[in-house]
Amino acid sequence: MKEFIRDFAKKVEVCLEDLPTEEIAKAINIIQACYERDGRIYIFGNGGSLAIATHWVSDINKTIFSHHLDHPGRRFQAVRLPSTESEITAWANDVGYDMVFAGPLRNYLQETDVIIAISSSGNSANIIKAAQLAREQGVPVIGLSGFDGGELNKLSDAKILVKTEKGEYEVVESAHGTIMHLITKYFKDYFDYLVEYRAAK
Amino acid sequence: MRISFVGGGTDLPDFYKRYPGRVISTSIDKFVYVAINRTSLVDKISARYNFAETVDHPSELKHTRIKAALLDMDITKGLEIASFASLSQGTGMGSSSSFSVALIKALYAYQGKRIGKREAAETAARLEIELVGEPIGKQDQYAAAFGGFNIFQFNANGSVDVKPILLGYKSAFEFQNHLLVFFTGTARQASSVLTEQKGNIDKKFETLKEMSDSVPEFEARLLKGDIKGLGAMLHEGWVKKKTLSSNVSNSAIDGLYEAGMHHGAWGGKVLGAGGGGCVMFVVPPSKRVAVHAALVEKASGLGMKNAKEIPIDFIQSGVEIVHNSDKNISL
Repeated sequence: MKEFIRDFAKKVEVCLEDLPTEEIAKAINIIQACYERDGRIYIFGNGGSLAIATHWVSDINKTIFSHHLDHPGRRFQAVRLPSTESEITAWANDVGYDMVFAGPLRNYLQETDVIIAISSSGNSANIIKAAQLAREQGVPVIGLSGFDGGELNKLSDAKILVKTEKGEYEVVESAHGTIMHLITKYFKDYFDYLVEYRAAK
Repeated sequence: MRISFVGGGTDLPDFYKRYPGRVISTSIDKFVYVAINRTSLVDKISARYNFAETVDHPSELKHTRIKAALLDMDITKGLEIASFASLSQGTGMGSSSSFSVALIKALYAYQGKRIGKREAAETAARLEIELVGEPIGKQDQYAAAFGGFNIFQFNANGSVDVKPILLGYKSAFEFQNHLLVFFTGTARQASSVLTEQKGNIDKKFETLKEMSDSVPEFEARLLKGDIKGLGAMLHEGWVKKKTLSSNVSNSAIDGLYEAGMHHGAWGGKVLGAGGGGCVMFVVPPSKRVAVHAALVEKASGLGMKNAKEIPIDFIQSGVEIVHNSDKNISL
């Protein structure tokens, strides 16, 4: 059993060592620009990726400002898609599962926004539909994918690919969780710094 | 708008057709806004900027860029265009091209088309350089369209490579806190300086080549956080730039520059093509107050009435549509 534990940890470790730092930095710049123009960040995925999306929304909306909950300045605005279970079931039941993200996204999306699409295979039809919609509307796409990146990696402006063997969902999602926390921490530190910097001025 | 650090002037085709031109710049928190209103019931064209014009056909407009853009896009009536800006033109921070990029983005949206950053930059460059015939380069249109800290490389075939500098917030704040931008109080048009500079490209080819080649080193020092070194590089670049054309500098600018350097600045340059606009210094924070005081005193001694510091912050965003109420946009 210990061997299994070490093997799994090793696989995740290898992925973390090879993180696409430049693409993550690009994603940070895209999110920064979105914050400056007071845009919104829409995050979504299927299954475990949806759980990461939900976690990330909470981190962006609250954790980043944890040290400054009373600060009156501008905050990030992140929204998990779809924002209600009713919308998921309505789109899935009435139209098709491939529209559960693109359907609701179309109601909101403005050119000042950003989307973060999370898909281990990079090929989930509903994720691709939403990424295509964003691209058509000139909205930057941050894509977190695994395996060989699939279609999502090709459609993304920031191509955050965690390269693994096909089917290594657990490894990919573990690395995606780290990337989520890494970007959250960057902006948490940034916001702490910004508040101090403005106070000093 | 933007501030450029090194490589300015290598974005002119007479240079980059022979050797790759490179410019490193960042967008800053000064903006140009363009508002367009459809006036379906009024068959006129209105342009409101420093002046207000209302005409029957765009060919009658005095504003060269609005006129050329409307004629090129065959928009002939039923439109009001107004512009607003954080700073007046001629500060050397690329406001003219920021205006053009915003105008292009807005006019495309008005026609129901979305365009990306590169297309906005290229279309604005075509407007200014080909349609209006201004003797300028393409760095400002790209800086305005893309936003953020970038290296732009201008290739012989006319293509432009955009390389974002992935600078963390701490390094960016650190560098920003060392910059002091001082407006000379005199606006200038890049075209007046660049016309002479263009004629000198053959003679000054080696100098321009050195300026282009200094861009990767500037990037390396920036990423290392060698701010003193960046100051020294700006100084070298400025000394070179002054040799490009007789009107890049003048005695008043030289006076301000020397005052800043004498009181502890590590380096600096004039923003934009030169001949007026702003002088930017890299100053250690401990010398900031002294340099600022020296500049104010010098400016007052030189009779520069509107001279003052312009505080700047780096930003990441480029051209954006802030609001679109037009239902013609295909969703």
